[in-house]
Amino acid sequence: MKKFIKVLLTMSVIFITAACSGNASGNDGYPNKNIEMVAPASPGGGWDLTARSLEKVLTEQELVDENINVVNKPGGGGEVGWKYLKSKDSHSLAVNSSLVLTNNLLEQSELSYEEFTPIATLATEWQALAVPADSPYKTASEFLEATKEDPNSVKIGVGPGLGNDDHLSLVQAASEFGINPADLNFLVYEGGGDVVTALLGGHVDAVTTSLSEVKDQHIAGKLKILAVSSDEPVEDIEDVPTWQDEGVDMVFPHWRGVMGPPDMTEDEIAYWDSKLEEMIQTDQWQQVLENNDWEDFYKNSKETKAFLQEQHDLYQRLVNDSGLLDN
Amino acid sequence: MDVNSFMEGLSIAVQPVNIVWIIIGGFLGTIVGMLPGLGPATAVAVLIPMTFGMNPVSAIILMAAIYYGAMYGGSRSSILLNTPGDGSAIAATFDGYPMARKGMAGQALAISAVASFIGGLIAVVGFVFLAEPLATFALEFGPAEYFLLMLLTLSAIVSLSIGKMVKGFLAMTIGLALSTVGIDTQTGVYRFTLGSSHLSEGIDFLIVIIGVYAIGEVLYNLLSIDEQRNEKKKVGKVWFSKEQWRRSKWPILRSGPLGFIIGVLPGAGGSIASMISYTTERQLSKKSSEFGDGAVEGLAAPESANNSASVGAMIPLLTMGIPGSGTTAVMLGALIMLGLRPGPLLFDQQPETAWALINSMFIGNIALVIINILLVGVLVKVLDTPPKVLYPMIVVLAFIGTYTLSYTTFDFFFLLLFGVIGLFMKVLDFPIAPLVLALIVGSDMEQNFRMALSSSNGSFGIFFSSGVSIGLIALTLLSLLYPLIVHWMKRKVQNRPEDQMYRSS
Amino acid sequence: MMKGIKLGVPIFLIVFSGLFLISSLQLPKANMGNPNAPLYFPAGLSILMLLLSFVYLFQELKHVAEENKELRQLFSGRTPKLLVTTLGSGVIYALVFDQIGFLLSTILFLGGLLFFINGWKKWLINCIVAVSFSFLTWYAFSQLLGVSLP
Repeated sequence: MKKFIKVLLTMSVIFITAACSGNASGNDGYPNKNIEMVAPASPGGGWDLTARSLEKVLTEQELVDENINVVNKPGGGGEVGWKYLKSKDSHSLAVNSSLVLTNNLLEQSELSYEEFTPIATLATEWQALAVPADSPYKTASEFLEATKEDPNSVKIGVGPGLGNDDHLSLVQAASEFGINPADLNFLVYEGGGDVVTALLGGHVDAVTTSLSEVKDQHIAGKLKILAVSSDEPVEDIEDVPTWQDEGVDMVFPHWRGVMGPPDMTEDEIAYWDSKLEEMIQTDQWQQVLENNDWEDFYKNSKETKAFLQEQHDLYQRLVNDSGLLDN
Repeated sequence: MDVNSFMEGLSIAVQPVNIVWIIIGGFLGTIVGMLPGLGPATAVAVLIPMTFGMNPVSAIILMAAIYYGAMYGGSRSSILLNTPGDGSAIAATFDGYPMARKGMAGQALAISAVASFIGGLIAVVGFVFLAEPLATFALEFGPAEYFLLMLLTLSAIVSLSIGKMVKGFLAMTIGLALSTVGIDTQTGVYRFTLGSSHLSEGIDFLIVIIGVYAIGEVLYNLLSIDEQRNEKKKVGKVWFSKEQWRRSKWPILRSGPLGFIIGVLPGAGGSIASMISYTTERQLSKKSSEFGDGAVEGLAAPESANNSASVGAMIPLLTMGIPGSGTTAVMLGALIMLGLRPGPLLFDQQPETAWALINSMFIGNIALVIINILLVGVLVKVLDTPPKVLYPMIVVLAFIGTYTLSYTTFDFFFLLLFGVIGLFMKVLDFPIAPLVLALIVGSDMEQNFRMALSSSNGSFGIFFSSGVSIGLIALTLLSLLYPLIVHWMKRKVQNRPEDQMYRSS
Repeated sequence: MMKGIKLGVPIFLIVFSGLFLISSLQLPKANMGNPNAPLYFPAGLSILMLLLSFVYLFQELKHVAEENKELRQLFSGRTPKLLVTTLGSGVIYALVFDQIGFLLSTILFLGGLLFFINGWKKWLINCIVAVSFSFLTWYAFSQLLGVSLP
C-alpha cells in the first residue's frame, strides 16, 4: 500500500508541474500558432467534411501558413463543440449551421449565437419537397391543398429530427399557405437516407429533405421533386419549380458557415475576411462546392452578423409555428 | 448484368495500384477491427483525410476493403480475449472464446477466417446477380417490417438465455432502458438525459460494448490474476480439422445468404445478421447443447453472416445512394467529397466504377483470407503475453477506442461504469449479449413501432398487412417456441439442465 | 458480504426500475401527436423490469446460501484493492487526460496499472511497456490515423 501511495504522489507531482507549464506565449502577429478548426460532429458527417474541406483548401492554396487541425467534438447537435469553442482563444474556429440558432430557440441549449464572433457564411444547400413518382400530387400546390384539407392523411417523412431545416422549411411553406404546421403528420426517420428509402418504398406520401438526397433519384425518374427552396431553378433540374413559382413566398437556404469564440479583435476578424474571400475564389473551393452540390453563399463577417440576426428572427417564428414548444 | 462493364470493372480492379489499396485497406481493417471500440465506421472515418486527392474509384475500393477487413478482424479479439470490437463481433464470443479456452485458439481463428471468406464470396456473387431485385425488396421494409425484424432479433437473443430466463430478460430490459436515453426522435422530447448535452444523442452502444466486454473482462480477470500462471497456453494447431470443417460447412453456406439479405436492409447490419444466424444454427443443430461451449459451427456461422452482411450493405449504397449502416454512411460522405455520388445514376453513368468495386471485393476477400490465416500464428502469441501485462494494455486500448468515438473524456466515466456493470454481470452469471444487443436495436424498435402505428392511424393491422411482416411474425414465434418445445421435451426425457450458455461470456 | 451482494443486486434493480418508472411518468409531454407517446415504452419497460427484479429477488432468496466462488474472490486477497485502484486510476486518467495531454497521461496511467498489477519487482519491463506502448498508440492514432488527441 505504501508503494501505491508513493506512485500516487509521484504521479500528482508530475501532473501539477505539467499543468503549470502549459500555454506557451507567442509574439503579437495573428495567427501565431496552430489553428484549430472545430467540427462539432463525428468524422464523416457534414460538419466534419466542411471543416476538412476548409482545412484542405486553406492549406493547399497556401492561404494560411499556420497548421490547421480539425478537431472533432460531437454531441448535442453541435452544442458540445460550440461550448468547447467558447472556452478557446481566437486561434479556434468552428463550423456552424442554423442549429446554432435553433438549439437555443428550441430550448435545448443555453448557448446563443450572439455569444460567438461571426466570421463567414460559406455555402448553402437547398431544401426539396419530393413525392413518389406515381403520386397523386402533381404540383406543390396540389400537395398543400390536400394537406390543408386533411393534414392527418398526408404522411410526411423527415429526418433525423424535428426542428431541423428539413422540417422547418416545410413548416414555413405550410404556414405561408395557411396551414397550421403543428397539424402536419410527420414520421421522423433516423437520417436523410432512411427518409428517401421510405419514400421509394411508398411508406410515406412525401418527404422534405436536402435537395442533394433526392436530386439523382429525380433525374432517374424514381421519385418526383415538387418544389425546391431556392430563389432560382437549380442546375440539372430546371424543370422543378421553386416555391416562389408555386406561389409560396419563401426562399429557404440550408447554409453552413464559420464562427469564432467570443471577443475576437477587429484585426483577427479582418484577417479571416481577407483569407476566406480569397479562398472562395479558388478553383479548388469551387470544386468542393460542386462535389457536394453546394451553392456559393459567401457572406463576410459583417454581412454574416446581419444575416444571423435576420435568420434568428425567422427561425423564432418558425419554431413557434411548428408547435414543437408549448406556449 | 452487363458483361462489358463487368470486364471493364475487373480490369480496373486488377490494376496494381488498386490491388495495393485492397491489401492495405484489408490489412488496416483487420487491425482496427481487432482493437476494442474501433469498428469499421471509425476506421473509415479517421482515414477520410487519407483518401483526399485519391482517385474516387481507388478511394471506394480502399474504404470497402477496410469495411469487410474489419469484419475479419472483429472476431480476432472476440476469440482470443472475449472482447468484441463491434456489435457484429459479439456472436463470435459465444463459441470462439470457449474454443480458445480449450486450447483451440488457432483452429478458431482459422475457421473464422475461412467462414468470413466463404460468406464474403457468397455475398459478392449475390451482389453481381441480385443487386437490383434485392434493392427493390429492401424497399418493402416499412416501419412495421423493421419493428418485426427487431422483434425477431430480440426473441432470438432471449431464446439463448434458456436456463436463466429471468436474468436474460433482465439484461434485455436494462439494454432497452438504456436505449431510451436521448432525444425521442418522433417528438423531440428529451428523455433521461439528466440535463447533459453529451447524453442528448443517446448512449453509444460501442461504449457499452467496450465497457462491459473489454473493461469488464479485465476486471473479472483481476479476481484471479495472482492464480493465473505465465505458463505457455496451448493454442492448438493453426488449421482446423476435417471434423471441424464437416461440422461448419453447412452452417457457413447457410449463413452467407442469410447475412447478405439482412445486410441489404438499411439499418439492420452485421449485429443482427450474426445474431440471427447464430440462433438459427443453434436451433438446427443436433448438437445444440454444445453451443456456447466451444461448438465450432457456432463460431463459423455468425462469421460468415457478418462478412456477407457487410457486402450486402453496399447494395443500397451503390444502387440508391442510401447508406444502410453507419459505415456506409461515412463512406457516402467521403465519396461525395471526392465527387463520386453513388445513387440510381451510378450504374448508368459510371458502370465501371460500380463494377470495379464489386470485382475488388472478390479480390479483397481472397487477400484477406490469406492475410488472416498468416496472422493466426502471430495473433495466438497474444495469449503468451503475461496477463498482468496484457490486461493493463487492454484497458488503455479501451480508453483510446472510447475517445475516438466522441472525443470527450466524459465517456471515460461511462466506460468505467459499464466495466463495473460487466464485472458484476459476469460474477453473478448474467448473460451480457442481451443487454448489448437490446441497446443496439432498442431505439429503432421503439421508433419504428410508433411510426408504424402513426402511419396506420393507430391500427395494429399494419403489422399483419404484408407478406414480409407475416413471415417475420412466423419466424419470431418459431424462434421463441421451438427452443422451448425442444427444451421441454429434453427435460421430460432426461431432466438435466441443458444450457451452459454464457457461462464465460 | 456475499449474502449482501446476492440480495443487494435484485433490491438495487427493484429500486432502479421504480425510479425509472417514476421518471418515465414525469417525462415532458410531447407537443405534437399523442402527448404521452414518449413515455409509453419506457414506462411499460420499467414495469416489466420491476416484475422481473422481484422474480429475481425470490430466486436469489432460495439460493442465497449457495456458494459463488467468484463472488468470494471479489472480496478476498488483494482483489478489492486491485479493483479499486484500477477504477480509481481510470477516473484520475479521465480527469487529467485533457489537461496534460494524451502521451504523458497514458504513460502514467499504464505505468501505474502495470506497477500495481505486475508488481515493482518487474520495474524494467513495466517501464518499457508503459513508454513504448503509449508512444506506439499515440503514433498510430495521432500520426497515422489523424485522430485529434489532446
